[in-house]
Amino acid sequence: MLAEILEIRDSGLAAAAQADSDEALEQVRIQYLGRKGRFSTLTPRLPLLPPEERPRVGELINESKRAIEEAVAARSAQLARERLERLGDTEAIDVTFPGTPPALGRLHVLTLVQREIETVMETLGYHVEIGPDVETDWYNFEALNLPVGHASRDMQDTFFMNASEELLLRTHTSPMQIRAMERLKTPPIYAAIPGRTFRRDATDPSHLSQFMQVEALAIDEGITVGDLKGTILYFAQSLWGADRRIRIRPSFFPYTEPSFEFDLSCGVCGGEGCRTCGGDGWLEVGGCGMIHPNVLRNGGIDPERYSGFAWGFGIERIAMLKYDVDDIRLFYENDLRFLEQFA
Amino acid sequence: MRVSYQWLCELAGVNDVPPDRGAQVLTMAGWNVESVTLLDLSEIRVGGVISLEPHPTSRNPLWVYQVDLGNETRQIIAGVDNAVPGSLVPVALPGTTVPNGAVVRDLKIAGVAGQGMLCAADELLLGDDHSGIMLLDEGEPGQPLDELIPSDAVLDVEVTPNRPDCLSHLGLARELAAALGRSLPGDFMPPFTGGIEPPGTELVKVDIEAPDLCRRYIGAVISGVTVGASPRWLQRRLRLCGVRPISNVVDVTNYVALEYGQPLHAFDLERLEGKRIIVRRARSSERLLCLDGEDRTLTPEMLVIADAERPVALAGIIGGEESAVTDSTTEILLEAANFDGVNVRATSRAIRLRTEASSRFEKGLSPELALAGARRAATLLSQVAGGQVHVGWADEYPRPQEPVRVHFRPEQIDAILGVHVPLEEMEAILQRLGFQVRVQDGDWDVLPPVFRLDVTMRADVAEEVGRIYGYDKVPPTLPGRRRTRWVPAAPSVERRLDSVRHALAGSGLTEVLTQALVDGSLLDRMGLGEGMLQVVNPVSEGQDSLRTSLLPSLLEVAAANRNRGRAAVFVFEIGRVYLRRPAEPEGQPAEPQRLAALRSGLATASGGRSAFLELKGALERTIDSLAPLKLTYERSSSPLFHPGRCARVLLQGRQLGYLGELHPTVLEMVDLEGRAAALEIDLEPVLAADPTRRARPLPRFPAVNRDLAVVVAERVEAASLQATIESAAGELLESARAFDEYRGGQLPPGCKSVAFALTFRTQERTLTDPEVDAVVQRIKTALAERHGATFRE
Repeated sequence: MLAEILEIRDSGLAAAAQADSDEALEQVRIQYLGRKGRFSTLTPRLPLLPPEERPRVGELINESKRAIEEAVAARSAQLARERLERLGDTEAIDVTFPGTPPALGRLHVLTLVQREIETVMETLGYHVEIGPDVETDWYNFEALNLPVGHASRDMQDTFFMNASEELLLRTHTSPMQIRAMERLKTPPIYAAIPGRTFRRDATDPSHLSQFMQVEALAIDEGITVGDLKGTILYFAQSLWGADRRIRIRPSFFPYTEPSFEFDLSCGVCGGEGCRTCGGDGWLEVGGCGMIHPNVLRNGGIDPERYSGFAWGFGIERIAMLKYDVDDIRLFYENDLRFLEQFA
Repeated sequence: MRVSYQWLCELAGVNDVPPDRGAQVLTMAGWNVESVTLLDLSEIRVGGVISLEPHPTSRNPLWVYQVDLGNETRQIIAGVDNAVPGSLVPVALPGTTVPNGAVVRDLKIAGVAGQGMLCAADELLLGDDHSGIMLLDEGEPGQPLDELIPSDAVLDVEVTPNRPDCLSHLGLARELAAALGRSLPGDFMPPFTGGIEPPGTELVKVDIEAPDLCRRYIGAVISGVTVGASPRWLQRRLRLCGVRPISNVVDVTNYVALEYGQPLHAFDLERLEGKRIIVRRARSSERLLCLDGEDRTLTPEMLVIADAERPVALAGIIGGEESAVTDSTTEILLEAANFDGVNVRATSRAIRLRTEASSRFEKGLSPELALAGARRAATLLSQVAGGQVHVGWADEYPRPQEPVRVHFRPEQIDAILGVHVPLEEMEAILQRLGFQVRVQDGDWDVLPPVFRLDVTMRADVAEEVGRIYGYDKVPPTLPGRRRTRWVPAAPSVERRLDSVRHALAGSGLTEVLTQALVDGSLLDRMGLGEGMLQVVNPVSEGQDSLRTSLLPSLLEVAAANRNRGRAAVFVFEIGRVYLRRPAEPEGQPAEPQRLAALRSGLATASGGRSAFLELKGALERTIDSLAPLKLTYERSSSPLFHPGRCARVLLQGRQLGYLGELHPTVLEMVDLEGRAAALEIDLEPVLAADPTRRARPLPRFPAVNRDLAVVVAERVEAASLQATIESAAGELLESARAFDEYRGGQLPPGCKSVAFALTFRTQERTLTDPEVDAVVQRIKTALAERHGATFRE
């Protein structure tokens, strides 16, 4: 019987060593160690042996089973190792296959630009003020030093509302200068004012009758033209890069004195002059100036003690410069093929 | 304003600054030069015509000229024969670019060679005549043309409305000189020479009956005038500035307007009834046949110049035909007046006519300018029209202009500009601009020149100093000092709305932005016209009303994208709508912030239901992004929505808006096929809700989950089943959620099965199955009693 045991053990060890899959190995385990396995057929014969041989034979059977168990485990571990080693071949995928992104919408490009502008201004300690689109003549014109019948009103062709002669669609975000002064009362006032504005202009690739502006307003003691320049420069460099420059050119707005247009150095030619900037190296961005003493007075602020600046521009214009968009109308046509280009 | 650079430089005493540089200097001083057109005549030569004969073979009417160019003779082909042997003509040789932009080349026509071009006046931008070759009065063959007619450049200068004094060559010349660090030669007020008797005041009587609208009226009588063509130099300058020459008298008035900025008018004195000028308001339904040929009916708001009988001119805007200078005029009344800008602007708008004169007056001119303009014009008229100027002008000037003085200390100017301007430099700048400066103990007292009505205060002086000193010399700084007050940082409404945008974009919706002005008739047809505000003066019918809802615009976005090949859109917009306040219909409207979303292009009824549920899910996610709030829904109806698929959205019992499939007739209005689901809600109550969140402790014991399929009649809604489940279950129920709806199979007709996922849990211990079974049994009993429910296993 000993020889028989050894023969079963050896064939079991050999079978385990040769098993080439987890399934084959499991078969080996069942065949030798299972309830009806080959060793189990030996156990009933033990009582037939002489009592003094029984422990030895029993011991040998147990040792043999342990040996096969160990061989099966070793082979199983080896198979697992081999499987891991071959994983690169067996489970390779085409990693160049196009991705399949989960469905996701996008924010409108003007939202993205507006947020970027507001973030820069908030970094400087400005807060965002929001005001009505349907304004009164007082806030939109009169309080901003644009008296009735004055020729300067022609600079801003206006939509009037049927509800009342006093009501109009604001032609700029500047009415919020007065409203901000009224609300906050005492300087320092540092506010950024985004919003829709309306001008009764014909629509073409660079003009819209409905568009968005952002205005920055600073009122404090000792505010200078230098502060205005510095703030615009900080803003321009934050939005377009530290190598950009700005310049201010004298201009006229009734609500600022002195008044300026501000230009950004062309990003294509670096200010040398090219087709993008029309040859002079500068791109027009917006208007600005030192708040007119009458405007401060109309907002309830003493112009002898405080001074301030305001500057504003079209958000669409900034988006056009930033993303190289050549037709302003695209922003409101909402062609998804256009909107899906921005994130 | 179109400016002749040569004229400008002559007045400025500048002869060493090329036009491009001059344009740059003007721009940085506040005079934005939009374009520079060079009129270079140095390449054009004077040619003497030797002979001409018809082209021998060409069937077109062409002439072959032999032209003497001094040291050579050229053969040139031309299409006209108005130049004859002996004529002096402008010649452009091959390779030359003529001022109108054409490049001259060698050519050969039907075997005959041509070596150049004989120029017409319009090709040289010397006139608008293209009928023949320009004939020169003088010159030597071979001589460069610019020795006879100086080269020039036309600058298109943007003059801001506060500076009508610079709608003139003299005004801009002063600016150019000042910016170049020079002073203008000569005084602003020109000298006046000549004068014959009798005095003009005996020949015409002037009265101002409306001194509020006419601050000054000068009437100068000039007799012995011969009306004819102006000299070529004068015509050329007018043309360069875009003014058509008419006759010497009219041309002089236009010339002086361009030079000084003072509009002038010339009447034929003999045609003025009673030799009278009365400046008065028009009488009701008085008429005036104007110089542009229009017969206009006047109103009493309008100011007219009248003679003893009738209006002869609309003050500051346009003259009358019946008193105009004609070829036979010999005696003229030259008007140099000052009219109220607001009134001129109002009349000009009322009659829809804006002229060179009105666009100057409407900005407010100094009455002092009238005398300068009258003197200059009188001098010129005697030179170019042979007129003799009578002494003793009528000059009605009831309220002479008061001088304005501005007091300041120079450091106050520095404090505005943010740079120290040296005192000598500040003084020199102001003087170059025509200001008188008096300095006493550091206090400055300046008197602006009479034509500068825009300078009244310190900030105005700062602007003058700054723009000539150069803003490039102002160092950029950031404002900052020790602050004792501030506005604490808080997320702005826009930042909070960003979380809405992200929640929606993360749910697959793309943000669109549509315009606030929309087609009011579409809103009316959709039943959204209530509370709508309209624009009195729209640019187009499609943009005549303020929107009362975002949905029509979203539908148009869907239709536009469908037209471009995108059958389905999934979009949202956040924006304001505008609603008249019932309590105050004439005041500013309410402008509530709305959220709208749309899913279009759904083919089937079940697709519509899925889209509805998808939008509902996205909405809940979105609201949760702002504040931990729970929305409720009620079956409802609205003209925009499908009658069986519309819900009111409520927050704490308050209606926020609607969610539903859109009504087929609404889709038809924007020409959209298929089905579409949409929502529109007010964001304000959500933004106003408390956004605070508090962390809940995590459960320590496991939950027990059970599914329950409830079979009920069609009309029973999930929300009422849920309410019954919640009230019957008691404390052990953690959540109940309907997740499936099923019809057909073995279900009785008219019935549906609603599957609920129930979760039971307590914070104290692990629940046992019998405990949960008991609760489920209570729920079933309640559902059966209240809704007649049965249950599927």
